[in-house]
Amino acid sequence: MARYGELWLKGKNRGMFERRLAQNVKHAVEGISDVRIERDQAQLVLHPESRARDVARRVQDVFGLSSVFLARGTSADTEAIVAAAEMVLAEALEARPRDRVLTFRVQTRRSDKSFPLLSTELDRLVADRVMPPYEERLRVELSKPELTLGISVRPGRAYVFAERMPGAGGLPVGTVGRTVALLSGGIDSPVAAWMAMKRGCEVVFVTFHSYPYIGASYEQKVRALVCSLGRFQARSLLYSVPFAGIQTQIRDHCPPSYRTVLYRRMMHRIADRIADAEGAQGVVTGDSLGQVASQTLENLACIEDAARLPLLRPLLCFDKGETIELARKIGTFELSIQPEPDCCTVFQPRKPIIRGRIEVCRNAEGELDVAGLVSAAVEGAERIEA
Amino acid sequence: MSTSVPAYLDNAATTPLLDAVRAAMAPYLEEEFGNPSARYPLGIEATAALELARQRVARATGARSEDVVFTSGGTEANNLAVLGLARARRRHGRHLLIGPTEHPSVREAARALEGEGFELEDLRLDRDGELDLEHLAASLRADTVLVAQMLVSNEFGTVYPVARVGRLVRANAPRAVLHVDAIQGLGKLPLSIGELGAHSLSVSAHKVHGPKGSGALVLSEGVRPRPLLYGGAQEHGLRSGTENVAGIVGLGRAAELAAGDLSATTSHLEALRELLATEVRRTGVARVLAPGTMRSPAITSLLLSGPPAEVWMHHLEARGVMTSVGSACQAKKRDVSPSLRALGLGEEQSRHVLRVSFSKKTSEEEVRTAVRAFVEVERELGAPR
Repeated sequence: MARYGELWLKGKNRGMFERRLAQNVKHAVEGISDVRIERDQAQLVLHPESRARDVARRVQDVFGLSSVFLARGTSADTEAIVAAAEMVLAEALEARPRDRVLTFRVQTRRSDKSFPLLSTELDRLVADRVMPPYEERLRVELSKPELTLGISVRPGRAYVFAERMPGAGGLPVGTVGRTVALLSGGIDSPVAAWMAMKRGCEVVFVTFHSYPYIGASYEQKVRALVCSLGRFQARSLLYSVPFAGIQTQIRDHCPPSYRTVLYRRMMHRIADRIADAEGAQGVVTGDSLGQVASQTLENLACIEDAARLPLLRPLLCFDKGETIELARKIGTFELSIQPEPDCCTVFQPRKPIIRGRIEVCRNAEGELDVAGLVSAAVEGAERIEA
Repeated sequence: MSTSVPAYLDNAATTPLLDAVRAAMAPYLEEEFGNPSARYPLGIEATAALELARQRVARATGARSEDVVFTSGGTEANNLAVLGLARARRRHGRHLLIGPTEHPSVREAARALEGEGFELEDLRLDRDGELDLEHLAASLRADTVLVAQMLVSNEFGTVYPVARVGRLVRANAPRAVLHVDAIQGLGKLPLSIGELGAHSLSVSAHKVHGPKGSGALVLSEGVRPRPLLYGGAQEHGLRSGTENVAGIVGLGRAAELAAGDLSATTSHLEALRELLATEVRRTGVARVLAPGTMRSPAITSLLLSGPPAEVWMHHLEARGVMTSVGSACQAKKRDVSPSLRALGLGEEQSRHVLRVSFSKKTSEEEVRTAVRAFVEVERELGAPR
């Protein structure tokens, strides 16, 4: 049973949110087991053919769910519920230490109000029947018990569960819209993309490579990151954009201290074009205020000046440590720290500008065929279905 | 990037499979799929194939076939030697000596032994880039139990005087065994465990046109490491696990061919090295790093100007010319390789060293193609900076 998060707040759009969530769940469990999905009030009920635990763990990564319960299904009559409860409790206790008493309760929810017992009555009945063998291990405590045996009674069917697994929260991917996310091989950008997905954006990834100034293995690293983030959305696209041509032009014609800022202005122009082609409405970056020279307020303004679509910078006010913690949690950290130079290290100036000025950027670009370079890069981009 | 390779000059990393090797392996990937431990004809045929491969590896290394232990490759062979021999001899002492440029599969294994109470010391190069034998002699002790010294350096092609090391070890540390990583030596030099005075010697199939995932540790009589893998007691209990029959057959055939063609291969490699040196000198694209030490003709190191060697490498690979910088100066490792330091190269200069390595399959045309690519890349990278 997979419970919704804030989905039920969404009023008239609820149907759309639920349908999308069910699709995302279906997609997530592909290859693990065939799963029949039922929609029920504030939850999806998944009926996996096999490997229920693997299905549940996989569903934990689907945005829009607050919690996932591994439940045993049974017919909706009292004796069958008691039998199921005995099994669920026995399994739950097997996995818990025997050397101390656990606080315990039974908690029923009825969506089938025609069920002959009230919720509290069923609670009591089940507790009376299942507890005796474990008298020394269990003590009833109604508020904040360590072990809750949950029962959900629905028309014709009941579910018994003891294990609550936290869901990923957020909103179902795709319900808010589509964005492009700039992906380097670093720690920050995958986390930023993940955060955008968490808030319901479907993300199209864009990366820039400076082959042959850096190795083709850079692209492999980015692809590995995209695959890893692929757990969180149904299908991922990666645009790999050749960038060395633009970088040599900037190196040869523009002030060295502005190189990084000018690279990033070009990246946003290219990202905007890719966003147009993919129907995306924003660009996600991993920028964090003041983290490196290109991320001062002035330089962010210089970069933004060249961007047309709204910029989403979910990490803007994160400390590095906070970002790293998230990267570890979502599983991108180990990939990100693989040593692999990225395009920003190519022709890196000794002294990058700290407080760039927009007019200087615009003037410098006067020496370049900006439109031509952008078009060439977009046309040279490789579109990879990851 | 192109998939066909006009000039594959990274043979110290790996080599293409020879047709003859593939043909020898094929039956064991198809109809002869038996488990050598099985007692019916299918299994017995597999056992026979293993024993033939064992004889071939033994002949290529001057050993007895019963002293050949098949492994999953060079790394496992080196680990089995370093960890297994040190552990087997720990009651005699805890002192280890490790060559100055050992492969990580030797060096890191030895480092892991420090956690088991062993004491690790590094051997040194002298000012000419030769192994410092004085220092070695002075470092050997009564409680030294293992000396590991490679035969041919994978990064630089230096041939170390291992036979002399063997004599010094016997004279000054009678309880020590000498392990020789001969992975870059097989097929490039005459190889004899006895003449080297080694107690163990590692080889790898894929460096001599065999398959990946197959290697061997060759032992001298009576020397036995403690196993790393326990189980069904295959390989006389020294390496449990169902044998990689096809891979071992491939190793056997590849080792046989490598040792058999040795003199033809050596003169071919020397001709290629000479051609590369001449062409590089004529075009002025690089400097050949030629130390006074004896070197394998298969490996040449070039000192390049302009951007770091890694940038050259990617520009060359874009033209289908495969080379390497990995070993000479690992991208993120700050340490300058001792061989480069011995040539007087500092950290900055060592980033400009490119490794070119040949095999008997390398053609003169590949060398010429490579030099043409060097000239083109130099022109491209020569843009104002």
